[in-house]
Amino acid sequence: MSRYKLGPRLVNHVNIRKTHMSLKFCWRTTSLLTTATALIIISTAAPKAYADIPDEDYRPILEHLLTTVMPPKLDALNDATVDLADGLTNFCSAPDADGLSDVRGDFHAAMDIWQEIQPWRMGPLVANGRDQHIEYWPDKHGTATRQFRKLMFNKPVAFTDPVKLSEASAALQGFPALEEVLFDDAHSDALISANEDGVFLCQYGSAIATNLVAITGELRDDWPGFAEAMSTAGADSMDYPTAKFAATDLYRALHEGLLIISTQKLGRPLGDEEKDAKASRGESETSKRSLRNIHHNLIGLLAIYDGKWGDAGEEGKGLAALIDSSLLDRSFRLNWQTVQDTLADLPPSLTELLDQPDGYQKLVDLQGQIDFLTTLVENDVGGNTNLGGGFNALDGD
Amino acid sequence: MRHQRREFLKLMGVGGAFTLLPLDLARAATPAAQDRATYISASAGDHDDYYVSAFNAAGKILFEQPLPGRGHDLGLRPNHVDVAAVERRPGLYALILDRHTGDVRAKLHCPEDRRFYGHSIYSNDGRFLYVSENDFEHQRGVISVWDANDGYRRVAEFDSYGMGPHELHLMPGGDQIAIANGGLHTHPDHDGRTPLNIATMEPNLSVIDRKTGKLVHQASLKQDWHQLSIRHIDVAKDGAIAVGFQYHGGLTDEVPLVGTYRPGKEIRAMEAPDTVQVRMRQYCGSVRFDASGQVFGISCPRGGIVTFWDAKTSDFLTHIAAPDGCGLSATDRAGEFVNTSGLGNGWRMDAIRRKRVELPDDSHKSLRWDNHLQRIAI
Repeated sequence: MSRYKLGPRLVNHVNIRKTHMSLKFCWRTTSLLTTATALIIISTAAPKAYADIPDEDYRPILEHLLTTVMPPKLDALNDATVDLADGLTNFCSAPDADGLSDVRGDFHAAMDIWQEIQPWRMGPLVANGRDQHIEYWPDKHGTATRQFRKLMFNKPVAFTDPVKLSEASAALQGFPALEEVLFDDAHSDALISANEDGVFLCQYGSAIATNLVAITGELRDDWPGFAEAMSTAGADSMDYPTAKFAATDLYRALHEGLLIISTQKLGRPLGDEEKDAKASRGESETSKRSLRNIHHNLIGLLAIYDGKWGDAGEEGKGLAALIDSSLLDRSFRLNWQTVQDTLADLPPSLTELLDQPDGYQKLVDLQGQIDFLTTLVENDVGGNTNLGGGFNALDGD
Repeated sequence: MRHQRREFLKLMGVGGAFTLLPLDLARAATPAAQDRATYISASAGDHDDYYVSAFNAAGKILFEQPLPGRGHDLGLRPNHVDVAAVERRPGLYALILDRHTGDVRAKLHCPEDRRFYGHSIYSNDGRFLYVSENDFEHQRGVISVWDANDGYRRVAEFDSYGMGPHELHLMPGGDQIAIANGGLHTHPDHDGRTPLNIATMEPNLSVIDRKTGKLVHQASLKQDWHQLSIRHIDVAKDGAIAVGFQYHGGLTDEVPLVGTYRPGKEIRAMEAPDTVQVRMRQYCGSVRFDASGQVFGISCPRGGIVTFWDAKTSDFLTHIAAPDGCGLSATDRAGEFVNTSGLGNGWRMDAIRRKRVELPDDSHKSLRWDNHLQRIAI
């Protein structure tokens, strides 16, 4: 039909179509079930219209997630870094193998909670590059390795001072740098024997941990102001004019968190094909916990949907509060749990997994499962919450 | 760069959103008086129905002209009623409309071995229309030339000196054309939109002689940033070019999304403070200079914000939230813009005072406003 042949319509009256139009053509309708693993498919393939949601319905979700759920987790992160710094102090005062094992345990505990928080990429978490100072990754150009090698050659005293360290390259701060100190086998003997390299590594590691205490403390302290601005979104705000718009940042964190797992945390080590696979391109693989990171990412991400995160929050008070289909809600949760179950059957280390005969395929399958969750988020969560994006955002040019 | 940002924040004494007032502009930022201009944009309804629509400064719809497919930007013929509505990529048609009524005055057909890319401009004398196109079989961009005085006959075709040319603008003086070559290869056999060369894409900014088609200047970003598609530009009266990028790499990669360029020099990359940079979601939509030529706005529809920048100092100024806001046009006041949204909203924005006022007439909310907005001064 050549609609352009129609004459122009001069409009002399108010002609209001539905302001919040149906998002029906916005949603991808093809399922991306690329994995051999059976997943439960409840969402329909056909596009559908979604009911408008009053702006006020988004407000309790914002308040719950930002003021009830997140703050105790930020406390926990800060506490874990304090434990880590204390552990390093203790270890460095009398280094031995058991002490190194203990401080590695402290590292894992702090990294677990960080990996749960990491996908909430908004406000104070990203301000002043904070997330990158906590964990500089992915390091596509091997900057950390190069700078670390130089550091060990020069052993500058400034890098044993947490304040001076905080002004240094992000690649030499944070968890990956500390991981290099604590988990690289090449450093273990030096640390335990407290030779010249070991003493420097201990002091440098302590400085990293102390700096992490400071950064996570700032993050914890800055969060309430941000949460307040988001929770009180309104027409006068130049940042968040509606509660729905503020809630979009939470939806995006959920959506992008899954995309990052698939494209970076799994995609980078997978490469284009099996012969290109490389575990060392994974996150935290020096401490052999790449897949453990993903398990914790998924805990933090599910909290956005569910509203409960460990002991914090309450089930059903996250984005799930806007899902009016119990069947769809149950399906989403079951599919999410299926991925967590898959991860539970895999080793925490990519190296270990890829050493298995069918390890590469298992990793491909896991990526397929994550991609399927992404599809559910785009179609079902994004659609039913009206948070999935608009005309220009989804199909611009 | 991060260090610079931190120092800048310290200097401003703030950690989040802020506005740095260019002092010589602050006085000009008075409340908008009656704006008698017409704003015009591609738009869409709820049922795959597409239009070119015009509204007045209050947001009242003046006309809707149905289109056979989704439009993109509009080219305004100087001192004439013609407006060129070129179908977005991979486009097959362009309509020449009457800017006052929407009446179709002419239709342009894309050659079989070319596809329109949504943007067009006229020469200052209004005679020639220039359209960015894809020569998909040869994986190169071209700029076609149509003679408006001869029934819009296709009279010439120039190389764009890059792949995937998108927005183009006349340089001051009108003898040269700046072209944003996005670097993306697409082919109609693969839907005409999906990039086929992400790993090897090489975007550039080219300036050509509009009469001979010869390359006059060209600039690229450094190799590390080759996945920053150079897509949208605007040109100030003094020849400064503001540039908006769209990143085809990782979501968490730290890359600039905005730049400025002066022909003969390098592209100068600019970054917003981290909290804003993340909200730009690696994607810029429209680029527009204000009436003064000192401030430019860049819309980021994926992040739902419009960012504002100082072209003289290359500083980030401020941002204003605009859910799905993309279309951007300068008003006749320094620092002031009109922004339209795919959700149907339209706002007047003051980048100097950091203010956003919704257009009062609700009729404009009946449409989803597409990527670009043009202002027709009375």
